[in-house]
Amino acid sequence: MAVADLPRSSDARPRAPFPLARRSLLLLLLVLFGWAAATSGIPVERILRAPAGIWNIARLMFPPDWAYAGRALGAMVESVHIAWFGTVIGAALSLPLALLAAKNVTGQATSTGARQVLNAFRAIPELVLAVVFVAMIGLGAVPGALAIGIHSIGTLGKLASEAIESIDRGPLEAADAVGATWLQKMRWGVLPQALPEIVAFWLYRFEINIRASAILGVIGAGGVGAVLSNTVSYRRWDKAGMTLIVVVVVTLLIDAVSGRIRRRIISGGDTSAEVAEGEMVLQAGA
Amino acid sequence: MSAALPDARPTRPARSKLVWVAVALFLAMTAWSWDGIGFSPAELVEKADNARRIVDDMFPVAWQAWPVLVEPLLETFRMAVIGSVIGCSLALLVGFLASQVTAPNGVVYGVSKTLMSVVRSIPDVLYALLFVAAVSIGPLAGVLALVFFNVGVVAKLLSETVDAVPLGPLEAADAAGATFVQRVRAAVFPQVLPNYLAYALYTFELNLRASVVLGLVGAGGIGQVLRIAQTRYRYDVIALIIFVTFVIVFLVEALSISLRRRLS
Amino acid sequence: MIRFEHASVTYPGGVHALKDVSLEIPDGQMVVIVGLSGAGKSTLIRAINGLVPLTSGRVLVDDEDVTAADRKHLRRIRSRIGMIFQGFNLVNRTTVLNNVLMGRLYHTPTWRTILGRYTPEQIDLGMRSLERVEIVEKAYTRASNLSGGQQQRVGIARALAQDPRIILADEPVASLDPPTSHVVMRDLQRINRELGITVITNLHFLDLARQYGDRIIGLRAGELVFDGSGAQVDEKVFEDIYGRSLTADDVLEKRAEL
Repeated sequence: MAVADLPRSSDARPRAPFPLARRSLLLLLLVLFGWAAATSGIPVERILRAPAGIWNIARLMFPPDWAYAGRALGAMVESVHIAWFGTVIGAALSLPLALLAAKNVTGQATSTGARQVLNAFRAIPELVLAVVFVAMIGLGAVPGALAIGIHSIGTLGKLASEAIESIDRGPLEAADAVGATWLQKMRWGVLPQALPEIVAFWLYRFEINIRASAILGVIGAGGVGAVLSNTVSYRRWDKAGMTLIVVVVVTLLIDAVSGRIRRRIISGGDTSAEVAEGEMVLQAGA
Repeated sequence: MSAALPDARPTRPARSKLVWVAVALFLAMTAWSWDGIGFSPAELVEKADNARRIVDDMFPVAWQAWPVLVEPLLETFRMAVIGSVIGCSLALLVGFLASQVTAPNGVVYGVSKTLMSVVRSIPDVLYALLFVAAVSIGPLAGVLALVFFNVGVVAKLLSETVDAVPLGPLEAADAAGATFVQRVRAAVFPQVLPNYLAYALYTFELNLRASVVLGLVGAGGIGQVLRIAQTRYRYDVIALIIFVTFVIVFLVEALSISLRRRLS
Repeated sequence: MIRFEHASVTYPGGVHALKDVSLEIPDGQMVVIVGLSGAGKSTLIRAINGLVPLTSGRVLVDDEDVTAADRKHLRRIRSRIGMIFQGFNLVNRTTVLNNVLMGRLYHTPTWRTILGRYTPEQIDLGMRSLERVEIVEKAYTRASNLSGGQQQRVGIARALAQDPRIILADEPVASLDPPTSHVVMRDLQRINRELGITVITNLHFLDLARQYGDRIIGLRAGELVFDGSGAQVDEKVFEDIYGRSLTADDVLEKRAEL
C-alpha cells in the first residue's frame, strides 16, 4: 500500500490561512515599484542602450594608464587622510554626547535630548555638509574632513551610547558608594568597560569614511574624487581606470587591516571569537 | 601599622606593550593626516567671518522655493524605490553564490566573494559619476549607481547570514532528492528571509540618503537642485534642502523602525 | 532490496568508518543497527542513499548501483528513500506543511518550488502523511512552535510524503524523552507493518532495539559483528557488540537489567 492510498481523515485538516500581512506588503511594493517605473521618465531605448554604454567605457578603461598610478595614489592618500582626520574629529566630539545619551549615566530626559542631537548629525549626508563647509572655508581637504567628522558624530555617538548602556552596573554603584564625582565615575567606572567596543566602532567608521572621503572631491573638498571627476570629464578613460583601481585596492587593503585590528580589540586577543558583523553594519551604516 | 610586608606588594605591571604601540600608531596617523590635509586652527579662525556670512545667507530659509523641489524629490524617491527593488533582487542571487553553504562550487564562491568586495569598495557617487558618463545625465545613471551599491551591501550581509544557517534542513533536502536550486529555495531561503527583508529595508533607507546627493554629479534627483544652488550661491535654498533632507530621513527611519519591529 | 557488497568508507583523515561490510536487507524488514558511537552506524545508513560515498565496494538499492550513480540518477534513487534525523532537520521558520512538502521536491518542477506553489495533489499527499502521524491539525503552524516529539513526527511525515520504499532513521529518538521515544518508534513500526516500507533505524538504546527490531545488525569499529533476529539477542550479544559490559546509559528505561 502506498501513502497516496491511505484513508484521509478530512475533518481535522486545517484550512490554509490567508497571509494577509505578507500579501498586502507585496502588493504595496509592486504598486510602489510600478508607479516609480512608470513615472520615472527614463526612455526605454536608453535603458536598452545602457549595457552597451557601460561596456564601452569599461573596455576603454583597460588597459589602464599605469604611469598615472603615482598621481592617483597621491590623491587617494589625501582621501585616507581626510577619512582618518574626520574620524578622529567625530570620535572626539561624539564621546561626550554619547555619555549624555546613555540612559544609565544620565537620566531619561537628557538621554532623549542628546539622542535627537545625534540623529540630527546623522541625517545630513556628508556631501551636503561639505558643500556648506567649502563655501565657508574654501576648497580643499579641510572642509571635507570637517564634513566627515560632523556627520560621523551621529552614528559614533549612538553606537557608543549603546555600548555604555550595556555595561555592568556594579562598578558604578561602587563609585557612588565611595563618593566619586561624575567625572571620576566616567573615567573609572564607565570608560574602561565600554572602550574596547567603542574603539572598534571608530575603526569601523574609518572604513566607511574611506568610501565617503573618496567622493568629496566631486564638489572640491579634496581627495581622489576630484581626480576621477576630472579624468571622466576629459574622457581620459585609461587614467580613470587607473584611479579606480587605486581606489579599490587601497580601500580593500585598509578594510583588511582595520578589520583584523577590530576583531582583535573586541575579542581581547582571542581571534577565534568573531564579531556579529552584520548586526554592526546594520547599526553603523551611513 | 606601617609594618606591612613590603615584599608581598606587587609592583605596578607595565601596561601591555600592544596598547602603547596602538597609541603611538594612532598619534602618528593623526599627525600624518593633520599635515596631509593642511589643517590649521589659525586659518579656521581667520575664516570665521566668512563662515558667519554664509550662515547669515542661509536665513531666512527660502521656503518660497519649495515648489521647485517637488519634482526632484519625487525623482529621488523613485530612484530609491527602483534601485532598492532591483538591487536587492540581484543581491538575493549573488548572496547565495557568495556563501560557502549554497555556492555550487569553490570557484563560484571565490569569484563572487571577491567581486562583491570590489563592488563594495567603490562608493555610490563614484558609480554615479561613471554611469553618467556611460548613459548620460539623468535618473537612469542614479538608479544604476544605487543598484551596484545595493548589491554590494545586501549580498555581503545575506551571504554572512547564509553562512551561519543550520545545515540539517539542507541534508534533509538532499536526502529527498532535491536539485541544487530546490535545496536553496526550500531549505535555506525560509531560514534567512526575515534577515533579508531587514537588510532590504535598511538599504532602502541608505538609498534615500544616497539619492539626495547623487544629483551633484548629474544622476538625477534633488542633488541637481543642490548643485545649481551651490553654483549660484543660494545658501537659503541649500538650507531648505538640508531641512527637507532632515524630514525625509526622519520619516523613513521612523517607518523603517516600525516595519522592522513587525518583521521580528 | 538493499545489498552491500564489500562496502568500505574511509574518511579524509584516515578514519575507517566502514570495513568490508556485506549484507542484504530484503523489502519490508524492520532493521535496527546498534553499536557504540563511532562504530559506523550513521555511515552505514548514509551509504544507502549516497549521502556518504563509499571508498570501495558497492551499495545497490533495488539493483541500482548507488555508488556508480551520477547526480541525476542519485536524486531518483533518493526520491524513493525517506530519511529521518536525530536533530529533526526541519526548517524552523516555515510551516509544518512546507516542511513535509520538502519530501515532494523530486516530483516538483523547480519553478514551482521557487514560487512555493504546490499542486492540490501534492498538498493532499502532505496532509495524508501528517494524518498518518496524527499531527495534521498543526499543518499551518510554524515548525519552531512544536515540541521535540511533534517535530520528529513532522520529520516522519516528510519522509512519508516521498511515498518511499525505504525509510532510513538516524538516531530518531536520541533527542527525545522516553514516552515520546516510544510514540515515535511505534509510528515507525506501524509504517513498516501497514505500508510494507523497509525501515532501517540506528538506535543506541538496547531495550528499544530489542523491542522494535525484527532484525538486529551489530557494528563494532566499522565491522559487521552481529546479524540476527531480535529474539536472538540478549545481554551477552550486546556485550559482544559493544566490547564492554553494559551500563544504565545503554537502556532507555534506566534500570540495571535489560
